[in-house]
Amino acid sequence: MNDLNSVYRLDGAKLAVLANRFGGICRKMGNTLLRTGRSGVLNRAKDFSCCIVTEGCQLLAAEESLPIHVLSGPDIMARSMLDQHPVVRRGDVFLHNSPYHGCSHPADHSLLMPVIDDHGNHQFTVLVKAHQADIGNSLPTTYHATAIDVYEEGALIFPAVKVAEDYRVNDDIVRMCRMRIRVPDQWHGDFLAMLGAAFIGERELLKLGREMGWAHLKQFTAQWFDYSETRMIEAVGRMPMGTGEATSRHDPIPGTPPEGIEIRSKVTVSPKQGSIRVDLRDNPDAMRSGLNVSEACTRTAAMIAVFNSIDPTVPKNAGSFRRIYIDLKEGGVVGVPQHPTSCSAATTNLADRVQNATMLALADIGQGIGMGEIGPVLPPSVAVVSGTDPRTDLPFVNQLFLGHTGGAGTPSEDAWMTMLHGGNGGMCFIDSVELDEIYTPILVKGRRLLADSEGAGKFRGAPAIEVEFGPDNCRMQAAFVADGNENPPQGAHDGGSAAPSDQYHIKKDGERERLPQSSQVWIEDGERLLSVAAGGGGYGSPAERDPKRVLEDVREGIVSRDRAAKVYRVVITSDLQIDWAETRQLRG
Amino acid sequence: MRIACDTGGTFTDLIVEDEAGTVKMYKASTTPNDPVDGVLNSLVLAAEDHGVSIEAFLSQCDLLVHGTTHAINAIITGNTARTAFLTTEGHPDVLVLREGGRLEPFNFTIPYPAPYVPRHLTFEVPERIKSDGSILKPLDAAALFDIVLRLKEVDVEAIAVCLLWAVKNPVHEIRIGQFLEEHLPHIPYTLGHKLNPVLREYRRASATAIDASLKPLMQDYLGGLTSRLDASGFAGRLLVVTSQGGMLEAKTLAQHPIYAINSGPAMAPIAGRWYAAASGAADSAIIADTGGTTYDVSLVRDDSIPKTSETWIGRPFYGHMTGFPSIDIKSVGAGGGSIAHVDSGGVLHVGPQSAGADPGPVCYGKGGTHATLTDACLVLGYLDPEFFLGGTITLDVASATHALAEQIAKPLELPLEEAALAVVDVATENMIQAIAEITVNQGIDPANAVLVGGGGAAGLNSVLIARRLGCPKIVFPETGAALSAAGALMSDLRQESRALHFTASDQFDFDGVKQVLASLKQQGETFLQDVGIEILGHSLEFGVEARYAGQVWELEVSLTKDQVEDPGDLAHLVERFHETHERVFAVRDPGSVVEFVSWSSSVSCRVRREGRPVLAHETSGLASGKRRQAYFHGAGLTSTPVFPLSALESEREYEGAALIETPFTTIVIDQAARFHKDRSGSLIVHP
Repeated sequence: MNDLNSVYRLDGAKLAVLANRFGGICRKMGNTLLRTGRSGVLNRAKDFSCCIVTEGCQLLAAEESLPIHVLSGPDIMARSMLDQHPVVRRGDVFLHNSPYHGCSHPADHSLLMPVIDDHGNHQFTVLVKAHQADIGNSLPTTYHATAIDVYEEGALIFPAVKVAEDYRVNDDIVRMCRMRIRVPDQWHGDFLAMLGAAFIGERELLKLGREMGWAHLKQFTAQWFDYSETRMIEAVGRMPMGTGEATSRHDPIPGTPPEGIEIRSKVTVSPKQGSIRVDLRDNPDAMRSGLNVSEACTRTAAMIAVFNSIDPTVPKNAGSFRRIYIDLKEGGVVGVPQHPTSCSAATTNLADRVQNATMLALADIGQGIGMGEIGPVLPPSVAVVSGTDPRTDLPFVNQLFLGHTGGAGTPSEDAWMTMLHGGNGGMCFIDSVELDEIYTPILVKGRRLLADSEGAGKFRGAPAIEVEFGPDNCRMQAAFVADGNENPPQGAHDGGSAAPSDQYHIKKDGERERLPQSSQVWIEDGERLLSVAAGGGGYGSPAERDPKRVLEDVREGIVSRDRAAKVYRVVITSDLQIDWAETRQLRG
Repeated sequence: MRIACDTGGTFTDLIVEDEAGTVKMYKASTTPNDPVDGVLNSLVLAAEDHGVSIEAFLSQCDLLVHGTTHAINAIITGNTARTAFLTTEGHPDVLVLREGGRLEPFNFTIPYPAPYVPRHLTFEVPERIKSDGSILKPLDAAALFDIVLRLKEVDVEAIAVCLLWAVKNPVHEIRIGQFLEEHLPHIPYTLGHKLNPVLREYRRASATAIDASLKPLMQDYLGGLTSRLDASGFAGRLLVVTSQGGMLEAKTLAQHPIYAINSGPAMAPIAGRWYAAASGAADSAIIADTGGTTYDVSLVRDDSIPKTSETWIGRPFYGHMTGFPSIDIKSVGAGGGSIAHVDSGGVLHVGPQSAGADPGPVCYGKGGTHATLTDACLVLGYLDPEFFLGGTITLDVASATHALAEQIAKPLELPLEEAALAVVDVATENMIQAIAEITVNQGIDPANAVLVGGGGAAGLNSVLIARRLGCPKIVFPETGAALSAAGALMSDLRQESRALHFTASDQFDFDGVKQVLASLKQQGETFLQDVGIEILGHSLEFGVEARYAGQVWELEVSLTKDQVEDPGDLAHLVERFHETHERVFAVRDPGSVVEFVSWSSSVSCRVRREGRPVLAHETSGLASGKRRQAYFHGAGLTSTPVFPLSALESEREYEGAALIETPFTTIVIDQAARFHKDRSGSLIVHP
């Protein structure tokens, strides 16, 4: 490493400058997509990512992306693009959503655009990945959790299919999509928005290459990867040494064993070698279910757990990834699924269990690393809803993001509350009630945090959130794949579990009927869905929590006085003071 | 005589223009405890300079335009009023959940931000209005009465009321307002629909809460300012700069203090526009105001200043969104005081930490130990150690050199001067990213824009910034060191009005739009009538925010006339939208319906005569014919001529390298650049 060290030491300022410029290009692409997207999942929830990979298919920059979309995946997808299309030309664009060729899951339509210099050489690939409102699945949902295979799942799969040549779109592909995808104008608007983002990314990289020289950029990427690796070695070097093991269990749904699916992760931290190994081989075989996790998402989920536990300023790119080794099982429910295994919900449910098991395994190694379990996703508050809008008589389909928490306690701070789920990292937006009500025929009766639902801890998890909503003057179909009812988010190092998730169908007469975890359900006019999305697990013993933080939680209605005394062993008086004498006695 | 006074973090800048058009600048220290003192101190300085008493001085003054950071400082330091938040039943967590989102998904050391109003001061009002404005659940008066009783118990000082869909039907908010006046007559309150009639409940609620929380404080401050100016003999008109780049009567602003949040920097782009136009500049200008701690970037496009509806106090997602359209200003932590350091992997960082004014850079000799951008520029020979800030501070070259050598040069294994250049380069890059972001958002190509350099530290690296961005020229205004105050003085009086009226290109509501535009025109004309001082000319312009059907973020398109009368006008407007969309976002969708959401009028009145203001020069301490050893990229150590700006011949071309000095700033020009002083007194550099 010594030679390289001296090179980038000499070049420290230039490295910083160029890293900023690549990051700036990602941000510019993302901003374009947010502002021009047509479906709520893009322009309200920001469920998309933009990144840059090298000509050698290594992830270089992914500023402001969703973690589960990018850490691994763009690299494999770019490789598969080159495998199918050994010669790429300027102005080519490829549509890719195949989980068998590196995509996260089929709902994440991605555009890959090679950046070709003035001599015809492929220098970089820009990638725009956006979760679609609909992809033409057999049911109106982008998470078909009970599909027994990709055929029942039903979406068109594009394994790096050329959709544009010389910057001109191939309308054949567009017509195919329009015939298969519900609300085709909405899809086409989103497609144009993605195309605009890709064009802007390519244009900016061409400008950068002409300005700096392509050789200079190549030199930069090599050094930036080395720098990132060095930072990673140092960060891992500060972690405790050892091997930890933990499990995280997904609730049963149709198609899974009756006890659900248990995911096991074994983590070995080698500070001296500056490396971390995550072994995910001891897991079940792929199932006849949409819950199987793609290779990209299995790898990424383990990597997120690692990056959540180290110095956050270590750059996330192919350089730092060199120090993470992940053992995968061919044909596993998490690992490397084989076609026609369905990976419809690969970014969320079991991927989050991989991440949670890995974070708990890290915590198992020692204090100060790992995290409680982050709450699971896909409760009804983030359902895919569809129907016919009575105001326009036009069909609608879109994923709502009406309310989520999920954050887990960490070794040094309380939860980041609005995580959505582990793989998301809190990057998605929460829908405005007003925007949802104007763009979708629904009425949101309420959304609120629930008291005494947090995973208690020295650093606590987020509380649960309750959202109640229903169709307005029409009927509405809702699809969701909730988790965390039988297996609520666990804490770490004596941290408590969060309260479980739950969901109900509220009938016209007010009667509540509990809904299965995975549902595709019609809600009639006058009826409502009640969604309870779990918070996250705590970290450390609640009896060690700073009493002032407990007082603040009581004052703010997150924790009751009763729970403060029983769980946190802090006595709060009725006029909201800490009774220190009683507290000391309780805490012994 | 007209006066502009800008209270900043460190200095209170005052600019006075007399009847002959002569301009003079003064700087007094800002007095954070009672900023009115600083204003009056600066006026005393000006009065003394004119050889008269403050009463005699102020009696000659027709107009005083004031910019202030008082409101934003109160928010940042947590000194706002104890405020209650009244929200629709079922939706208590609007301010807690915000709009979600995060910047750094792997950073768990940053705590989740506390809501602007805590949950224990949040009250759910039983009522509900639907998206079409119909009432689903009438306001429960008995429950409202209980809430008022509890408001009395918890002893609040201000009340924010923001209900779902009040923008569509305000009847419940209005009723609550009446109720509060009746039962809590001494507690100021704000109604969301009146303050900020936009969709998206979080940003409207946030604006409402911030506004209410500022009322007691800003009413005191502006009341105090008005009465103390009156007592000192001021009989003219007192206007306060708004975040929108307009001006409001002090007493009007006290009713809506959220307008004052960006009151400080909002005038810089107005000055920038004035100077860019005076120098015959192109369609767009980038205005960069470089202070000690922050770098504020704003824009001028087609002679107008772009707005944003997403202004944050603090970092995006971690601070609070003002939810209020305001001049789009991008601020980053980069300035003369930005601290440089080399991390364990050998990468150099500059900022966002700043040494501030106290202790300041190492070279100030006030106890600063971290090398800063200013220290690097001193080491490079760009600054005159004997004549910094008009000679008020003597800079310590030895300490700066030592700090830079130890903290930067050694770990980077670079010679001292190359290390100093690296610090300038990284700071330059941070500033370029700020410019890149705002120009991207607003669809401006820097290669077609001029850069206007304002603020005390602008001269250090603006030439490098402009060259990297491809800007063809840089304008350094004569009054650049007090750019905001200069803007307040030299700009027109402006006011913008805005109205929501949704319609679409496939079923365009010609009648409705006609009424909206007529009403906006009327509001502009009313402002004109009430200006109260002599107007030398005015203009009234119209715009609309539009989007493709299904999009939820709009682009602003200006109207070429004051009405959209017929299908021909509409087709023209639609085509202008397609063009704008393609320019900004690289694609157009000619088959898509275009939706029009929010219409605006902007009136501006010219109150100062044509012709350039003449700066009365302070030349003491600035000698011509000097040379200094300065270090540049490529050229190394170069004997560089030093010119006082006032000594340059007007319209004569000079070649770099050169160092141009004024009492408040130094402009660094390298070998590759050419420069001249133009007729408006600005220094023009072609990088």
